[in-house]
Amino acid sequence: MIDYFTLALTHGLIAAALWRLLFRPDLDADEAAVSAPPARPWARDGTGEAGEEPRDA
Amino acid sequence: MLDVALIGFIGLLLALGLKRPFFWVLAYIYIDVVSPQKIGWGPIQSLPVSLIAFAAAFAGYLFLDSKRGSRFSLRQALILALFAYCGVTTLGAAFPEAAWTKWNWVWKALVFAAFLPLTLRTRLRIEAAALIMVLSIGTIIINGGIKTVLGGGGYGTLALLVREDSGLYEGSILSTAAIATIPLVLWLARHGTIFKPDWRVSTFAGGLIFAALLIPVGTAARTGLVAIAVLGSLLLRSVRYRFVYAGLAGLALLAAIPFLPQSYVQRMSTITQYQGDESASTRVEVWKWTLDYVRANPWGGGFDAYLGNSFTYQTSKTTGDPNNQSIEHREVTDKARAYHSSYFEMLGEQGWPGLFLWLWLQGLGVWQMERIRWRFAKREDGKASWQWGLATALQQAQLVYLVGAAFVGIAYQPFIFMLVGLQCALWSYVKRTEAVPRRATFKRYEAKAALPQAG
Repeated sequence: MIDYFTLALTHGLIAAALWRLLFRPDLDADEAAVSAPPARPWARDGTGEAGEEPRDA
Repeated sequence: MLDVALIGFIGLLLALGLKRPFFWVLAYIYIDVVSPQKIGWGPIQSLPVSLIAFAAAFAGYLFLDSKRGSRFSLRQALILALFAYCGVTTLGAAFPEAAWTKWNWVWKALVFAAFLPLTLRTRLRIEAAALIMVLSIGTIIINGGIKTVLGGGGYGTLALLVREDSGLYEGSILSTAAIATIPLVLWLARHGTIFKPDWRVSTFAGGLIFAALLIPVGTAARTGLVAIAVLGSLLLRSVRYRFVYAGLAGLALLAAIPFLPQSYVQRMSTITQYQGDESASTRVEVWKWTLDYVRANPWGGGFDAYLGNSFTYQTSKTTGDPNNQSIEHREVTDKARAYHSSYFEMLGEQGWPGLFLWLWLQGLGVWQMERIRWRFAKREDGKASWQWGLATALQQAQLVYLVGAAFVGIAYQPFIFMLVGLQCALWSYVKRTEAVPRRATFKRYEAKAALPQAG
């Protein structure tokens, strides 16, 4: 009885977690994990990010 | 019925992997920790579910997954070096049959640990792996916790899900792993995004931690008590309100003592009386034997080299009341006693090179986690960041394990190697995302400017 209860509880939670993960786009690519752009101190804000379009979008 | 449910669950995991190949990695973690093929009684026992998930995880990463952000770090190279070295010693093992049996599971644990960080490219993946690990070992912990409360405990008698005394289902190993899981539970309850922090998450986390603390009681494993003490003191370092924490922990301890079973208290009180205790005396003898053994075989004897040991020693036991004591000396001969310590396990089986690699791998992990903690602690609100929290949790888990490992032979425990994999992933994630030291330079400049004013 205890065995069934534990199995149902944790397996239910694992299934719920996976269900939520299934619809999360940041599972496969999150913004922060993309390599930080090289420093460009000559650019106005020092990052060189301003006004640039992502090339592979 | 149970078999159908378990096979159905594994089938569901594998099927969902068709949409998200990363799920196969999670499926392997689940199968490796829970061993559903051992829980079931019928057909599931003959299915090579672990191998299927292992192959799927690799193939999924190689052929379907993006590799953007995957990095190969020094520690992964160390794991692979250890893997190769273990392979070599297995080929020349002193006890080939036993060595190959152990090799069959060790190689998978090592290769998976080296592979896991490659797949954990995003924050969410790191969290997902941690969550699945916690929920999977939670299956065993909650089960053992409830049974302990209902009075099914005792050394070697706590009936867990599986009637087998191996892997995570062995009392001392489970105690250490359960206590090492607690920091991860705390982290997930605080920083989780899959199950966001709310009262339900807190309740579950509280229950799980309570169950984890009960495992050393239920299994009456002395190692577990040591592990709790280590974690208790480590938490002092990371909690925000130290005095409140220390006070509450003390109160909880006082409140718990009356509820501890008599058999447990008796067994724990033997921690200091190692002379009269066969289990403790044997350990010391095995360790001496191991040191002698590596003097003759510095390159190690391969897996399970302890099978060759045999020694005779004396135990002394004092009985009777203080005025009328009698000391009983007994001569005990032991053969093929296991190492009962991961350090000596590594030393005896893989010799000095193996022990060196293993210590390097573990030590570097503690150091890298500390570096991440420093890096984030310097920032404003850095201690509230998930990176600081996870580095702290993984370091605490590892230190608990490293202390517990002194008394249990768990040098190649797959669950622990998964923790190592998580550490590698976090390290390379932080290195990758924080690569540009812009902010640090700026801060240093600011600090310098502020100095003259302060003086």
